[in-house]
Amino acid sequence: MKNKVYIGYSEVATLISIMIGTKAFLGYPRLVTQLGMTAGWIIVFFSGLISLCLWLLISSFLACFPKKSLTAITESTFGSIIGTVLNIVVFTFSILVISNSLRIFSEVVIITALTETPVIVLTLVFILAAWIAAYYGIEAISRSAYISFPFIIASVIAVLILLYPYYDFKQITPIWGSGILSIGKNSFLGISAFGEVILLCYIIHYFQFDVKKVKQAGAFSIILVTIFFAAIVIVYQMVLPVPTSIETLVPFYQLSRSINLGHYFQRVESIFVMFWIFTAFLRLSMGLFVSTIIFQDTLKLPYYRPLLPAICLLVFSLSLTPADMMQTVMYEDIKFNYGWLVTFVLPLFILVVALILKRKEE
Amino acid sequence: MGNDSSRKKFWNIIANIVTFKEEKCKEGFVLNDEGNESSEGKQNKNIYNVKTKNSRTNKVEGNDLKKPKQVHKTQGCRKKEKYDEGKSLVIEELFVEPNLKTNKEYLDKIYSLSKNKDIIIREFYIALDPPLQAFVLFIDGLCDKNIINGSILKPLMVLLEEVKEQDRKKVPIGGNIAEYIRTHLLPGHDVRILDKYRDILDNVNFGGTALFIEGSSKCLVVETKGWDRRTVGRPEAEQVIMGPHEAFNETLRSNTGLIRKALRNEKLITEMVKAGSRNNTDVGIMYLEDLANPKLVDEVKRRITSIKTDYVGAAGVLEQFIEEDPFMISPQVLTTERPDRVVSFLVEGHVAIIIDGGPQILVVPITLFSLLHSPEDYYLRMPYGNFLRLLRIAAIFIAMLTPGIYVSVVNFHQEMIPTELLLAIAASHVTVPYPTIFEVFAMEFSFELIREAGVRVPGVIGNTIGIVGGLILGQAAVQAGIISPILIIVIAVTGLASFAIPNYSLSFGLRGIRFVFTILAAIFGFFGISGGLFLLLISLVSMKSFGVPFLAPIAPKTRTEPDVVLRGPVWSMEERVDYLEPLDRHRQPEVSRGWIKKPRGGRKNEE
Repeated sequence: MKNKVYIGYSEVATLISIMIGTKAFLGYPRLVTQLGMTAGWIIVFFSGLISLCLWLLISSFLACFPKKSLTAITESTFGSIIGTVLNIVVFTFSILVISNSLRIFSEVVIITALTETPVIVLTLVFILAAWIAAYYGIEAISRSAYISFPFIIASVIAVLILLYPYYDFKQITPIWGSGILSIGKNSFLGISAFGEVILLCYIIHYFQFDVKKVKQAGAFSIILVTIFFAAIVIVYQMVLPVPTSIETLVPFYQLSRSINLGHYFQRVESIFVMFWIFTAFLRLSMGLFVSTIIFQDTLKLPYYRPLLPAICLLVFSLSLTPADMMQTVMYEDIKFNYGWLVTFVLPLFILVVALILKRKEE
Repeated sequence: MGNDSSRKKFWNIIANIVTFKEEKCKEGFVLNDEGNESSEGKQNKNIYNVKTKNSRTNKVEGNDLKKPKQVHKTQGCRKKEKYDEGKSLVIEELFVEPNLKTNKEYLDKIYSLSKNKDIIIREFYIALDPPLQAFVLFIDGLCDKNIINGSILKPLMVLLEEVKEQDRKKVPIGGNIAEYIRTHLLPGHDVRILDKYRDILDNVNFGGTALFIEGSSKCLVVETKGWDRRTVGRPEAEQVIMGPHEAFNETLRSNTGLIRKALRNEKLITEMVKAGSRNNTDVGIMYLEDLANPKLVDEVKRRITSIKTDYVGAAGVLEQFIEEDPFMISPQVLTTERPDRVVSFLVEGHVAIIIDGGPQILVVPITLFSLLHSPEDYYLRMPYGNFLRLLRIAAIFIAMLTPGIYVSVVNFHQEMIPTELLLAIAASHVTVPYPTIFEVFAMEFSFELIREAGVRVPGVIGNTIGIVGGLILGQAAVQAGIISPILIIVIAVTGLASFAIPNYSLSFGLRGIRFVFTILAAIFGFFGISGGLFLLLISLVSMKSFGVPFLAPIAPKTRTEPDVVLRGPVWSMEERVDYLEPLDRHRQPEVSRGWIKKPRGGRKNEE
């Protein structure tokens, strides 16, 4: 018996915001600085704008298939063989992304807090917690996201504001950084950073509200995260000059480390580490849950919970495959450059074909 | 063979652990789920109705009076079937006999009168013409002897002499004598005519006095409850400075009276059900008929009536039988000893459960936020009330996390501590031969020991234990170099914070989870604390109390007035909470202060 799930608009919007926004605590600010130099924040802005347009397009197409997940649309459009293959591709991508995130989070914990702990231990703790949360289901994860959201936002704002003594506006000039062409190209590639919004299409059958609200939830997440990404990148570049900022592995940690407000308010990065570790737990749980749901829908299984141990083991094993952190970061860069193919282009293609077929049938 | 079966058992256990089983909806009730009425609920409702029908024996009396002889004959047959010498009685199927001696035999057997010395049978003659033999049955200690003497024995034995000779001849002898006595001779306020032994015994066991009359197949039961009871005292665990100082006691009727006194409303319903097959405790279910969601009321009744156990002695036991998640850290039922608190929940659409014999009353459903509120929050002005609430929320985090944060900072994140303080901590730690986690656990354990000892030992010595434990033990431990002085401060603050949590059960839960956080912090530092908080939050948002999500109205977000974490002014709370689905959401008009002509918000008083 399937228990009914109740998720509201606010829960979904905050959950997707956290899913996308967690990158700010990893290497994202460094990556955009690398690509756009002093114009990193412009890349963020344009990437957000392009992602928003694509999302509005995708969600409008999705509205033509009420209460149908993208997995179901893919299969009904392309038939059971090609449809299943496409769904397996999406599932594989989601598993790779989640396992790489798991490894990065574990490595970042080692860098920031537990320098002598073996990576396997942290990976294990992360995946076990994510397993428990995914077992409780999307209701629990989304509600937790909604409750913790104000605290996470407050901690980010606090870091950005508390760094005000180090703001140097000259460091974000020249405005166009690496040049307009480079900004244009990287802004398009950078839409991968907002790819998590597509998760809404795969879990749409869980929502009580209509597709219009799903569209709004996605748009809200993209706009909010764009603002925060841009603010973080600007502050990052104002506090650390470009040559230093492209060398830092965990930019947000570096920022929180730089806070020094008098003798008794310094080196408080551990407090902020607590908040973003919390977001890491949320992101991994949700990633694990959605991957499992995609697999469940692909194989048309009645339950997702029996799949969790196997998928957890898969994610855990894959996360330990990279030799070191640098290799993990390299995979993350590959995802940044080509991830949009799976997160935006593939769903758009599927929906366009599905719509054409639907029109023909009508 | 033995080895084979044990091996098979072992593999079955392993298979049970690793294989998937279909989820069973344990709770089976979601308050806002329209189509979730289980057949079980309906079945129990029938049972409930049957119980109600059983209590309507007075109606049957009227019919019996018309054909007394026939009834006697039938009952005589029942007697032969159900009772033979030397065989046990089936009380449920036993009826009152017209023969007084037979009734006495029944009672002798039922109550083991030869051994049971507080069961009293007083034989006498009703002063009719001719005198009619009768006896009263009551339990010494449960009844008010003045009522028995003055309102039963005296009218029947003495005052009847004063009835005119002419009138006395009209007295009917036979089947309807019971009705005559009830209407003419017994002045008691609650006199019932019963014929089933089960009903009679239930009344006698609860302080009633039964009058058996020769020649009548009916028994009169007079309400004579009068045991020694504690008077309405002051609350022990929920004291306030502002607000009422009344608390419930162990008597159900007294408790329902206290609630009714504070909530004078004809729609306030008190339904009674029984719990515990041996002690047959009365459980009252109170709610406002025009406010509480009927589904919620049905669910409360379903859960209580479905309990199959022999003894339910107190609210704490009943709570464990009706809560959804027994292994979670937080209670899912609110326990209170304050009538004003119960009333404040009833007017929101909650249901109160009152168990006879306990001074605590249960309120369902609840959310985490209602556990964190104290009645005083509302009796004080808004800014003061909010100050108390903020203080309490800080207390929750301090009680739960302080030892863990201390262990984390000392073991993993020393850079957070300013250098002078770090040096001070290091200096105080130099003489201590143990790791920090050992120190913390030793002190936490000692603190819990002092608290438990303080509760168990008699009052006067209890204070001494506090002083000895708190001051002497702590100081001696520091001087002996076993514990660092800063840790004493950490433990003291944590202990104080845990006592600032208004709900006793929740305070227990947080004290327990504190040890888990300390262990996580000792292994993983802030990472462990963060992981622990994540799992705690996940488990809390998954909990439900009688179908209501435990963190409502925040997660899931539902419509609510400003009274969740902080509270707004009382005049701004116009609607009732949404998650209870009350029958009337409207609490007060938009402008509730009728004297205001033009409020600051610009809304005008329409009147």
